[in-house]
Amino acid sequence: MTTNGHNVTNEEIIVCRDVHKWFGNFHALRGVTTSVKKGEVVVIIGPSGSGKSTFIRTINRLEQHQRGEIIVDGIELTNDVRNIDAIRRDVGMVFQSFNLFPHLTVMNNITLAPMKVRHLPANEAEDIAMELLERVGIPEQADKYPAQLSGGQQQRVAIARALAMQPNIMMFDEPTSALDPEMIKEVLEVMRELAASQMTILAVTHELGFAREVADRIVMFDEGVIVEDQPPDDFFNNPRHERVKHFLSQIL
Amino acid sequence: MAAETQTATANVLPPPRTEVGVIGWMHANLFSSRLNSALTVVSGVLALVILWYGLRWVFWSADWTVVKTVGGLFLIGGYNTELACPGQNCFWRPQVSLLLVTALFGMTWAILGGGVAKRIAIITAVAAALFAFLPYSLERMGWDVRILLLANLPSTAIGWALARYTPLGQPRWVVAWGVAAFLITLVLQRGVANVPGLQPVSVVYWGGLTLNLILAVGGISLSLPIGIALALGRRSNLPVVKLLCVVFIEVFRGVPLITLLFMSQTLVPLAFPEDFPQNSLFRAAVVITLFSSAYMAENIRGGLQALHPGQAEAARALGLPGWQTTMLISLPQAIRNVIPAIVGQFIALFKDTSLVYIIGMVDIVEMGRVFISRPEYLASAREMFVFLAVVFWVFCYAMSYVSRHIERNLGVGQR
Repeated sequence: MTTNGHNVTNEEIIVCRDVHKWFGNFHALRGVTTSVKKGEVVVIIGPSGSGKSTFIRTINRLEQHQRGEIIVDGIELTNDVRNIDAIRRDVGMVFQSFNLFPHLTVMNNITLAPMKVRHLPANEAEDIAMELLERVGIPEQADKYPAQLSGGQQQRVAIARALAMQPNIMMFDEPTSALDPEMIKEVLEVMRELAASQMTILAVTHELGFAREVADRIVMFDEGVIVEDQPPDDFFNNPRHERVKHFLSQIL
Repeated sequence: MAAETQTATANVLPPPRTEVGVIGWMHANLFSSRLNSALTVVSGVLALVILWYGLRWVFWSADWTVVKTVGGLFLIGGYNTELACPGQNCFWRPQVSLLLVTALFGMTWAILGGGVAKRIAIITAVAAALFAFLPYSLERMGWDVRILLLANLPSTAIGWALARYTPLGQPRWVVAWGVAAFLITLVLQRGVANVPGLQPVSVVYWGGLTLNLILAVGGISLSLPIGIALALGRRSNLPVVKLLCVVFIEVFRGVPLITLLFMSQTLVPLAFPEDFPQNSLFRAAVVITLFSSAYMAENIRGGLQALHPGQAEAARALGLPGWQTTMLISLPQAIRNVIPAIVGQFIALFKDTSLVYIIGMVDIVEMGRVFISRPEYLASAREMFVFLAVVFWVFCYAMSYVSRHIERNLGVGQR
């Protein structure tokens, strides 16, 4: 048990050791070492360009790391396509710009991967999808197309789509940054509910209120390294690093 | 401030008069400024003048005898001459193909319901049937041809009923029927040795609109998949595949079709075994299809480039393998976004089929040219080309019309 009441086990579900990533000559990740335990909620913050998005994108190989090792749920991330696909099935991802498939209905957005990757029969996949849509509060939108939904609704569909693969880990890459203020709340509500259900969560977000309330740990990135990694209370009240104070003073 | 706290509904007013109705529309669109008013008047006068002289020419001065004389030859060229089809009447063969097509349209109508499919099916059947009554030359064709033309009405109905009331009504069966109809057409046109009534007709005698349509349908249905394959190949991470596709695309886009058609007669044979049954039509079809595929590939690549990279990322993040991401996420969106360009390429291909006169084939345009080079019709070139232009326009407009409706149904630009 930690401050925010999640059942955190001792099992480390994500392990990263000395992860490096370059974009051309730009050294984006400069030796990131951290781990996430099963059931833990980790919020990642940091100034733009600090490597926080790049870091979570290396975990499901949307970006390839060039040095170090990443182990997710016991599977090491190598160039082996089978490993990559296994990890992607196990890690749900929610993007800043939703990335719903505009040519498919909400229902088909959610059932696509379960049917094509997990080979579930259509009716079973649809049952799961309806359950998830109810969980995120928009079952009545199942037959609409993404463009007919508000931003908040689209992001909730995106969360349902990721959950439909029954992942053990959910990653959020600035899930509320593209939303109007009144829609941020409905998305955070869904994320809160997910955290309470013992899902392992890795979220890049600027919602410090959410972080304080829900996170077990807050990790701050700056210039490609982790500069702070503490439970929320310590993070906000007595940060060890000068840059954290500076960053907090800028966005609070 | 008190007035502003009324309920929201109380503030909803009807639009001002100038915004609605005919007057409002005309004011907004035709006479919104002095320049606009002047343009409206000038273009209106111009349109009337053109219409007046155009119609006067069409109904008064033009002599359409040449079109009537060519008649059925527009449709089949030299296919039914004594030389091509000795000792028998072969006109029924393309007629049977037409029946297969109208049946296909009937099936499509039943599957897609009303709207465009219905309109096209009915227009085609009625137009085909009307040809039976038009006073034009049906040399060597006789009355049975008129009966076959009239049969397009029942064949549309039969196609519709088959799709409606039998298991043939599934889209894949209709597609299979379409492919079968095309292959049957080829076999019927070519004929089969030693079968009574189906004596082989050399492809050099195939002609008229039938030839244009065979080349266009074959080219369109093959150039789209080949183009997709080339576009994907050009974006491939495998350097050899990529290089091959780039070379292919750039070579076929960089050489005029006329040159390719000339070259086809000497170069295509090299690509096939010596005993491979091929002929001038086959070679032309190969070249036209590949030429169009190269353009198609670039259209589709454009559609793929325009996609937000997040689409493929989201699919990969869900665990979809690369090829499924391409087939289920990237391609459908890319193709949908470039439908206008794809249909433009289809239209260009259809018009380009008339270039086969280069290799001595008598398509509909060449058929017309044969007649206007005769002394008695030398003065009728204008009528002939206006007629040919209208024929091409009808088919191209139909394609454009169908594509607009497909776009609307897919909600292009909205979702």
